[in-house]
Amino acid sequence: MSFDTPDILLNLIKIGIVLGLILNVTPIMVWVERRGSALIQDRPGPNRIGPLGLIQAMADAAKFILKEDLVPAQAHKVLYNLAPMFGLIPAVTTCAAIPFARGFTIPDAFTYNGVIGALLVAGAVANFLFGVIALRVTAHFGAKPGATRFNQWIGKIVGVALIATAPVLFGLFAWFRSVGSVAMPLGLGGRYFEPIIADVSIGILLIFALSSLGVYGLATAGWASANKFSMIGAVRASAQMISYELALTLSAVGVLMSAGTLQLTEVVYRQSGTFVLFDMIPLPAWNVFPMFVGFIVFWVASFAETNRLPFDFAEAEAEIVAGYHTEYSSMKFALFFMAEYMAMGTISALMATLFLGGWDVPYWNEPATFVGFLASFGAFLAKTTFFLMVFVWVRWTVPRLKYDLLMKLGWKVFLPLALLNMVIVAILIPLGWI
Amino acid sequence: MFEYLIFFTFAAIAVIFSAIVVIHRNPVVSALALVVSFFSLAVMYVLLDAPFMAALQVIVYAGAIMVLFLFVIMLLNLAHTEEPITRPIQQFLGITAAASFAITIIYYLCKAAVLHTGGPAEFVSDARAIGVSMFEAYIFPFEAVSILLLAAIVGALILSQRTSAITEAKDGGAR
Repeated sequence: MSFDTPDILLNLIKIGIVLGLILNVTPIMVWVERRGSALIQDRPGPNRIGPLGLIQAMADAAKFILKEDLVPAQAHKVLYNLAPMFGLIPAVTTCAAIPFARGFTIPDAFTYNGVIGALLVAGAVANFLFGVIALRVTAHFGAKPGATRFNQWIGKIVGVALIATAPVLFGLFAWFRSVGSVAMPLGLGGRYFEPIIADVSIGILLIFALSSLGVYGLATAGWASANKFSMIGAVRASAQMISYELALTLSAVGVLMSAGTLQLTEVVYRQSGTFVLFDMIPLPAWNVFPMFVGFIVFWVASFAETNRLPFDFAEAEAEIVAGYHTEYSSMKFALFFMAEYMAMGTISALMATLFLGGWDVPYWNEPATFVGFLASFGAFLAKTTFFLMVFVWVRWTVPRLKYDLLMKLGWKVFLPLALLNMVIVAILIPLGWI
Repeated sequence: MFEYLIFFTFAAIAVIFSAIVVIHRNPVVSALALVVSFFSLAVMYVLLDAPFMAALQVIVYAGAIMVLFLFVIMLLNLAHTEEPITRPIQQFLGITAAASFAITIIYYLCKAAVLHTGGPAEFVSDARAIGVSMFEAYIFPFEAVSILLLAAIVGALILSQRTSAITEAKDGGAR
């Protein structure tokens, strides 16, 4: 293990990107969840704080921090305080092994060309126009009854900031045009940027290993709270996660059989390109087509794994108050909340990686350049967002199952189906279909 | 340099938490400390260039077996009570066994360090190599263990069937 400065810098950039994504999953998904549920239930939803209620999550965060932190007298103090961290750490760390875009070689120098110049000028003009529009809209709605001063301020700040970026972009354009080409700073030129934090040979096992530790947060929280409802929630969570982890892991085995490796970058590379079905229909070579059964099992099991409706028995507010986090308040409760959404984000990214080709843009051979990187990053985000949206959609559409039905479903339906998927893959591989 | 830093950090964590497992009087805390100890052992495997073993260590021991242990201990210990101090004879036997085990390990480690016997052997620890050796060289022990596990599953099934038959008979009698 030897590092030099560009290596450390590149790793810091990767960690910054992934951490930025995974930490922002929570506020964005909370907004999507609340507005989405409102849309499904035909009501407005949170729309007071910020335009369209977009800054509601920040208000929630401020509220969480300012609330009193209560610890029950009978609770086991140390474990009660540690439990939210047990839950959060696996959720944050698992995303380290997921490749999020096509790797590219960093060019030695930026060279000015017409496209970049046009983009910069267009950006400057667009930002100026958007700023003016934002200020006008703010002034317009400010005159109406029911306008809050908070929203007024946000509108003004956004408008002024947008207008202020316009001359900056234009200045950048003028400077870049006069200079012609800029050498890549800090020795980054010529390096290969592999967009994954930990490209380990055991990629998928690492993810399963870390996510299997997530159950300790729930179990410890439930036990340490010294509350019957919490305990029931914790027991349910542990039983459910153990049962569904098996189906989840087994349904992913097909992917590993076809890829022949546990390394997730390799799994994604195997899925790029196309596969011609019956010599007629060109399909992207994604695992979802040959392993449809496994994909469905993985998808359903992921709902149980992240404790989401229709499988959210660990909190089931209609039955056991709030389950394992009944006694938690303020920021500790928020940590459980964050862990749930981060686990959702990670498992969505994992599903996209294993079955939908990860960052692969269908019908396009991504070049190993910055453009290919951006396009594949966009494809990865789009696929992940799709699964996250389905999480929300299902939560507000499907009612909660009965608990014994969940266990029966896990052991008697999904486990055999996952095994069936393995058999199908084992037959398809020698036939040359995968 | 990095390796040493990581090794000594996690070695210290493993030792401290193993001690907590034995010393702490609350069984739930002991179980959780054992999980931490297993996790630091997994880090040791990574340092020994055996990441596959590390992942299995975490998945099997920390992720599955200890969850079940914790589960049972929690259900048996809902009132957060602490274990009573064990009897002197138990303490004596436990300490003697642990001490003799420690002395044996230290003896063989010193022997290996002085005589340089059994140096780092050539070994491959990826999924493929382990799978090949398991299904070729060690196929008989592997199948024997499978039969053992199958026997355990069948036993559990029969036991649960019997108890449910008894409760059904009781319920029938009550009605």
